[in-house]
Amino acid sequence: MTETPLIQLVGVTKTYHLESGDFTALKDVSLDIPENDFVAIMGPSGSGKSTMMNQLGLLDIPTSGTLCISGKDVSRMSNLERTHMRRDLIGYIFQKFYLIPLLSAYENVEYPLILKYKKRDTSGKAAELLARVGIDAGMSSHRPTQLSGGQQQRVAIARALVNDPKILLCDEPTGNLDRKTGLQIMDILCTLHNEGRTVILVTHDPKIAEYATRTIRLDDGQIVEES
Amino acid sequence: MKFGDIFFDLSMRSVRLNFTRSMLAAIGIVIGVVAISSMGMLGTNMQLEVKEQLSSSANTIVITPDSVRMGAPGTAPSSSSNSAVTKTQLTKITSVVGQNGTVIPIYTTSSQFTINSLPGRGMVYGLDPADIPEFLTLNNTYGQGTTNLGVNEVLVGSAIASNFGVTVGDRIKIGSVTASSRPQLRIAGILNPRGTVADGVSTDNAIVVNSKWYTNQYGGKDEYNQVNIIVKDTDNIPDIESAVDAKINTNAKSPAIRIRDAESLLATTTSTLGTVTTFIMAIGGISLVVAAVSIFNVMMMSVNERIQEIGILLSIGTERGEVRRMFLYEAFILGLLGATIGGICSLLIGYSVVDSMIGTTQYFFMFDSIVYVPLGMAIGIVVCIISGVYPAWKASNMDPIDALRSE
Ligand SMILES: Nc1ncnc2c1ncn2[C@@H]1O[C@H](COP(=O)(O)OP(=O)(O)OP(=O)(O)O)[C@@H](O)[C@H]1O
Ligand SMILES: [Mg+2]
Repeated sequence: MTETPLIQLVGVTKTYHLESGDFTALKDVSLDIPENDFVAIMGPSGSGKSTMMNQLGLLDIPTSGTLCISGKDVSRMSNLERTHMRRDLIGYIFQKFYLIPLLSAYENVEYPLILKYKKRDTSGKAAELLARVGIDAGMSSHRPTQLSGGQQQRVAIARALVNDPKILLCDEPTGNLDRKTGLQIMDILCTLHNEGRTVILVTHDPKIAEYATRTIRLDDGQIVEES
Repeated sequence: MKFGDIFFDLSMRSVRLNFTRSMLAAIGIVIGVVAISSMGMLGTNMQLEVKEQLSSSANTIVITPDSVRMGAPGTAPSSSSNSAVTKTQLTKITSVVGQNGTVIPIYTTSSQFTINSLPGRGMVYGLDPADIPEFLTLNNTYGQGTTNLGVNEVLVGSAIASNFGVTVGDRIKIGSVTASSRPQLRIAGILNPRGTVADGVSTDNAIVVNSKWYTNQYGGKDEYNQVNIIVKDTDNIPDIESAVDAKINTNAKSPAIRIRDAESLLATTTSTLGTVTTFIMAIGGISLVVAAVSIFNVMMMSVNERIQEIGILLSIGTERGEVRRMFLYEAFILGLLGATIGGICSLLIGYSVVDSMIGTTQYFFMFDSIVYVPLGMAIGIVVCIISGVYPAWKASNMDPIDALRSE
């Protein structure tokens, strides 16, 4: 099948312009990620994993090379188009959870729905997803600071899923959790992959990387190994 | 603003989280709103009050000698300026007015006086007793009086009567305390209060004497300080004024008399009051500038404290415009808070200021006056929103990655 992959990187380079000189965090990275892939990205600290995730998550655009998502060249899209694609197509899960502190757990999950439909959620989808990741109704009125790390990450996953994204970007989602909680989170991600979502996961932990169908190793901004 | 807008909720929570700080910043707005609206109301109430009082003498034309005058440029000031309306001029005026009104010549000076050994000072008006009932009325609660003054009789104004505890029949000595001989006169009546009037005869703190006694005492017979014309039909005022002007002010470059009426006086008074009001409101406006700075500060604090939150919002698909809106709401909430408190304070403070400075609040709730409350509030809110523009713009233009990294 010669279908274009969901995500395609061709010669992607990212250079940061610093006062001390230019620093190239990604060097000529080319990679295809088809739909329903489960990719683990590994590599030493500072190798450019987060930088790559930021490109995939449209938080940033490559300095050179092309990144196509769903067949669209992201550097040719307007800022607003990228914002909408991020909102509708991509779920981003962070190491530090990054829940909105002023909103309750429920409101955090409801938030992307409000962004998309410009009104409060009446479908019950937010509550449904919270239940699915194991947050009970009593806890959903809590503010993020009143939740444990594992609970916060569950809420963050529910938030990432609420707009039915095709792509889930997970930057060290278990990095701030103990092993047991981390494995529970991985179980959820596996289920999501089995449902047909494309999962891209950054991790330092080889045990966690085993969940993925393939692993990419980055070093010094370059892909050094694919398996 | 949509009800239940999540961005409004977020702003609301942010304000509530930093309630003390927000309230302190809003104080500036409160002060600005109070200054603008209470000053605006005070000015308007003054204007309405003056208008009301002047309208009571709307039927009077006031003629005064044009004594304050500049010479033509390059020449010495005219030395022939009049300090009085002369008998010839009076005769001309009387003939011009004819049956259309009553001409009342008036002598005025200011003098010290003594009643019941208490000293005082006030205006002295010399009038022909026959002219007095034309425009002055007696208050007979102090005793039955008469306007038909004998040579040694006077009428006193309402303020003097109440301040000195006068009754009809009391004696008054006119002249300075040190004068060797001070004539003593009998008080033949007490005048009703007149307030501020456009006809130049403010009797509340004055003594009205017989013109015969006046010229005996002060001299200057037939040299009147002022001539009033009480017209029968106010529509004739412009015609009479121009006829008098044509007859007496024959030299256009150096007019002999000045002609005024309530309307022209009202116009100048209103414009003066308007200028003063605008000036005071502008000072209130300066306090709003100070308020704007403090709102700006608080908004910048809010943005800087929430950088990571802004990063989160942007990274999960919030439009930049939505982030901007969130911070503008915050500025709006601060403004609304300040303006609401300011509005309530303006009503309370404005009411008591108007009551104490003007003595009446009968105009307070009229549209022209009360409109300054919503106006001041609106200005306060707009100032807040403007102060929030830059912080909101700054928040919405952050780089999401940088913002997320900040702790
Ligand atoms: N905004 C930035 N400006 C300048 N340099 C940056 C920026 N972001 C990343 N870098 C640099 O790029 C390199 C790659 O950073 P990146 O965050 O992608 O590493 P990483 O592989 O995710 O590391 P870690 O495992 O520690 O998270 C680092 O050397 C970092 O200093
Ligand atoms: Mg990283």
